[in-house]
Amino acid sequence: MAMTTETQATLPVEHSPLAGMPHDTHGGISNPVLGMLLFITSEVMFFGGLFAAYFSIRANASQWPPTNVETGQPFSLAILPFVGPATILLILSSFTCQYAVLAIRRDDRTRFLRAMTITVVLGIIFLLAQVTDYSLLGAEGLTLSSGTYGTTYFTLTGFHGAHVFGGVIMLSVVLYRGMVGQFSSRHYDAVEAASLYWHFVDVVWILLFSLLYLLPGKTAAT
Amino acid sequence: MATTTLTPAATNSRSALYEWLTTTDHKKIGILYIVNSFVFFFIGGVFALGVRTELAQPGLQFFNDQTYNELFSMHGTIMIFLFVIPMLAGFGNYVVPLQIGAPDMAFPRINALSLWMLPLAGILLLLGFVTGGTAAAGWTSYAPLSENRPLSAVGHGQDLWILALVLIGTSSILGAINFLVTIFKMRAPGMTLFRMPILVWTVLVTAVLVLMATPVITSVLIMLFIDRNYGGSFFDPIARGGDAILYQNIFWFYSHPAVYVMVLPAMGMISEILPVFSRKPLFGYKAFIFATAAIGALGFSVWAHHMFTTGAVYLPFFSIMTFLIAVPTGVKMFNWVFTLWRGQLMLKTPLLFALGFLSMFLIGGIDGAMSASVPVDFALHDTYWVVSHLHYVLFGGSVFGIMAGLYYWFPKMTGKMMNETVGKAQFVLMFIGFNLTFFPMHELGLAGMPRRIADYSSTAGWNDLNLLATIGGFTIAASMTLLLWNLAISLRSGAPAGDDPWEGNTLEWATSSPPPPYNFDHLPEIRSERPLFDLRHGRTAEH
Amino acid sequence: MSSSPRSRSARPAIFALAIVALIVGVSLLLLAVGVNVLHIGDTFVAGLFPPVAVTQQGAKIRDLYTIVFLIAVAIFVVVEALIIWSVVRYRRKPGDDTLPPQTHGNNIAEFVWTIVPTLIVIFMFFVSWDTLNAVDTSAADAQTTKITAQAGQFQWQFDYIGPDGKTVVYTEFLPLVSQGGGMMVPAGRTVQLSLVSHDVIHAFYVPQFLFKRDVIPGRTNQFDFTVDAADAGQTFRGQCAELCGSGHSIMLFEVKALAPADFDKWLADKAAAATASPAPAPSGSPGSSSAPAPSGNPGASSAPAPSQGATGPTLQVTASGIQYVEKTLTAPANTPFQIVFDNQDPGTPHNVSIHKDSPTGEEVFKGEVFPGVAKKTYDVPALAAGTYGYVCTVHPTMTGTLTVQ
Repeated sequence: MAMTTETQATLPVEHSPLAGMPHDTHGGISNPVLGMLLFITSEVMFFGGLFAAYFSIRANASQWPPTNVETGQPFSLAILPFVGPATILLILSSFTCQYAVLAIRRDDRTRFLRAMTITVVLGIIFLLAQVTDYSLLGAEGLTLSSGTYGTTYFTLTGFHGAHVFGGVIMLSVVLYRGMVGQFSSRHYDAVEAASLYWHFVDVVWILLFSLLYLLPGKTAAT
Repeated sequence: MATTTLTPAATNSRSALYEWLTTTDHKKIGILYIVNSFVFFFIGGVFALGVRTELAQPGLQFFNDQTYNELFSMHGTIMIFLFVIPMLAGFGNYVVPLQIGAPDMAFPRINALSLWMLPLAGILLLLGFVTGGTAAAGWTSYAPLSENRPLSAVGHGQDLWILALVLIGTSSILGAINFLVTIFKMRAPGMTLFRMPILVWTVLVTAVLVLMATPVITSVLIMLFIDRNYGGSFFDPIARGGDAILYQNIFWFYSHPAVYVMVLPAMGMISEILPVFSRKPLFGYKAFIFATAAIGALGFSVWAHHMFTTGAVYLPFFSIMTFLIAVPTGVKMFNWVFTLWRGQLMLKTPLLFALGFLSMFLIGGIDGAMSASVPVDFALHDTYWVVSHLHYVLFGGSVFGIMAGLYYWFPKMTGKMMNETVGKAQFVLMFIGFNLTFFPMHELGLAGMPRRIADYSSTAGWNDLNLLATIGGFTIAASMTLLLWNLAISLRSGAPAGDDPWEGNTLEWATSSPPPPYNFDHLPEIRSERPLFDLRHGRTAEH
Repeated sequence: MSSSPRSRSARPAIFALAIVALIVGVSLLLLAVGVNVLHIGDTFVAGLFPPVAVTQQGAKIRDLYTIVFLIAVAIFVVVEALIIWSVVRYRRKPGDDTLPPQTHGNNIAEFVWTIVPTLIVIFMFFVSWDTLNAVDTSAADAQTTKITAQAGQFQWQFDYIGPDGKTVVYTEFLPLVSQGGGMMVPAGRTVQLSLVSHDVIHAFYVPQFLFKRDVIPGRTNQFDFTVDAADAGQTFRGQCAELCGSGHSIMLFEVKALAPADFDKWLADKAAAATASPAPAPSGSPGSSSAPAPSGNPGASSAPAPSQGATGPTLQVTASGIQYVEKTLTAPANTPFQIVFDNQDPGTPHNVSIHKDSPTGEEVFKGEVFPGVAKKTYDVPALAAGTYGYVCTVHPTMTGTLTVQ
């Protein structure tokens, strides 16, 4: 990301095209962090659309989860052995991520790098668990094309997974930039922004997990 | 990492073309937005002429039903997503940083990315013509007609349509983030929120709408894509147990706010032009801002007025909200009129187009309030009356506003004036052609002509009005050739504009025409929403 | 940019006079070349109102439209007059450089033009709501005629429900009165119409009802209407109003109002004929759908004359996915022959009708319409040598070419 505010610091003052232009700099939130917050707002609305579709379809169904036409039994999802542990790891990664932010605020680069590495690794483990889970469900006959249940399940978790993937990439870039020494207690906007995004991804998963795995279904009223 | 963006590097060795293609200057990007939008305006206009030509007489003379459906679907999609929305974003890009005294947008490279997604999306959309047919389910692409099923959208056209819209949506979201950060973080000293020009305010509200609404249409498009390509079952009730109304609810949750995305910045442009050409401040500056914010907020609670006839929405709620949204719009209308009142009107081309906006948008707005009445909408929904209404809003409103803005800021962008005589001729022709095309559609709709039909019976009594509308359509086309001519002669040999040809109020007129990179050498003191007026005449009392 | 100092005395009055003179002049000119300006004016004003409603519900909607429209016109005239007056009155006079009073606003004015429009729209909402409650309710009783309109790409069919409220006593496959079909309704009696779609979204729209309702797959919509008793004998045109694909513009239908006694007799006759004929098609061969002579085409109604043993060959035609599988056929000249028509579209009615030269030419034979999945044999009379087109009466987009030699 091109961040004009960063540039100001790196250019000699008299050469900066912004030099003669004082700005509304009093205060607050930096451009990248504000940009990230706004981006997260739009992501909230994106997932809002998907969730709305899920609720609408679920509310219109006479029975939820619906019956799998191949087995005659209602679809079911298992929390163990993969999804439950993966959920715990993902929540944990939010804490390690925040720990990394706190560390770089204190200029503690060693702890920052360590915590960030753990976060990235946890994110990757989550993704691997999700892929394994998908293949198990596929073997049981639950796929994207098996009716409203499969479609909503895979769309919601798939898009969440894609966001986790994006988050892992983002954190990896932050980690790399940290390793080459680009961050300090005076300059860590990108860390802050990536961490906000990671928290958002985590919150979405907690919602998804509650909806898909914990919320009791309904049986057909005959 | 960002130093290359801003270093005024040795660009002399590079060609001008390379310079434009790689620019991150908000002014060049703004102009590229505008040029790109005009290209698609003309493509969409040709499609509209195709539609009008086919409808001039009963019988299928030029196209078959399928081609006709493709034509109006592409016309609607292009005009909305590749013309009006990006055009206004282009003006915003050019003008907003100047008006708030900023050197550029907050994220210049993301700005360039937003821009270049648009032509790519347009090409994807039009690729349908060479891959067996474009999308043909209307710009709304209601499911299940847009599903991959027999007699519906079986080809690649619909998928390309989805991809194009997702790209455009992403571009809009990135643009909105950019506008918001720029407006919140990059204002010049003294430029408090309530001293910002109205255009900046409308762009701000628009950006919020885009940020909140556009991701929602992205989600529905992706669901449709999954349905079409991966056996999903969101929207096809017959084959898979989905819900056809779900698509409409999510679609209109975006697409109604999108109407305000398409008209609010045009309102902002009018609100810059009317005060300058009446030599008065905008009447009720704060009331105008609150009205804009109210429209933005209410805009999220009226989406189902597009679905009154589905029998699947709670009618009284959406009816009253739709009626209520007429109130802030009315407030704006009165503020504009009383800005003119007792002013000193310079009847230059920008003001003429702005007055055209007032008169035509007035009709479009009143139409909107009429169709908020549910039983009346039962009669009018999906007829040509609605086509008329939406064109009075989006052509009579947005396009007249865009023309006003073009004539107003062209001198700033190029340093040259546009030709007044040709401009006035264009206005007269466009005004007549517009009303000739779209007013008869009110009567066609009342007489029962549904929209989106390729053919009609010669005994239905719709012949004369359709012919009239077609004549009007070609009159509009003629007015557009005048515009092209005017642009050509003005670019080549327009009179030099100087810094401030209109005695403007806002900061963009305080720098040279065209402005230098990073816009300003120095800024005047900002103590009101009209810093340049204060500079010329001294400050006038607030009330 | 400064305009040349032209006539300084151009006052608003002169300006207004010039406009009036222009309008009068143009009108006189048009009159002179034989255009009846007054008539055009009348047509223009009449065109701003919907057609006169033929249902009780439609009449209420029309009354509401009139109220709403008059309010709209009043607002338009007031605001537009303000705009025009401001432009004419406050044009900048050449050479006048005085700064106008710098009015920034007026809180009382803002208050007034917020409150007054709010009151107006709330009034409009309540009158609308009132009308909505009157037109969008169901008052079904024993007298109510129940009809289900089934929409599919791209045709309408009408199921008449028997007194038990469930059984379909008669199904009309042809949507137009001129084809011998159409939707018959009893004038003066309430009709409860259910709307069912098998594929995409359609909309049931009759302009003279001032009403439409979407026909949505997976969801049954319903509304009531009562055609005025005085309108018995009239036919009203209707049309699909929601884009439904490449045949959207041809998805027409007609509603014909009959006096209640005539309607009862008509329905009883149809129901009797339907039960008499073998399944699955609810109509006997010559009697119902094909016979009532489509506008005097020679040979059109002479169609199926129950098999006196055709001597020609037997041709196979299959319909699937609203398409004929066989797009070309060949038959011998001057010999009667048979067509075995296999309709494989479940629930969708098709037939084969043969037209001279092209599918839109003069009709020479019309096979009975019946829904799939089913098979029927048509006896086609002898045809002269030449090229013919065949088409499904219900789906004008289903066509093929028949060569007779």
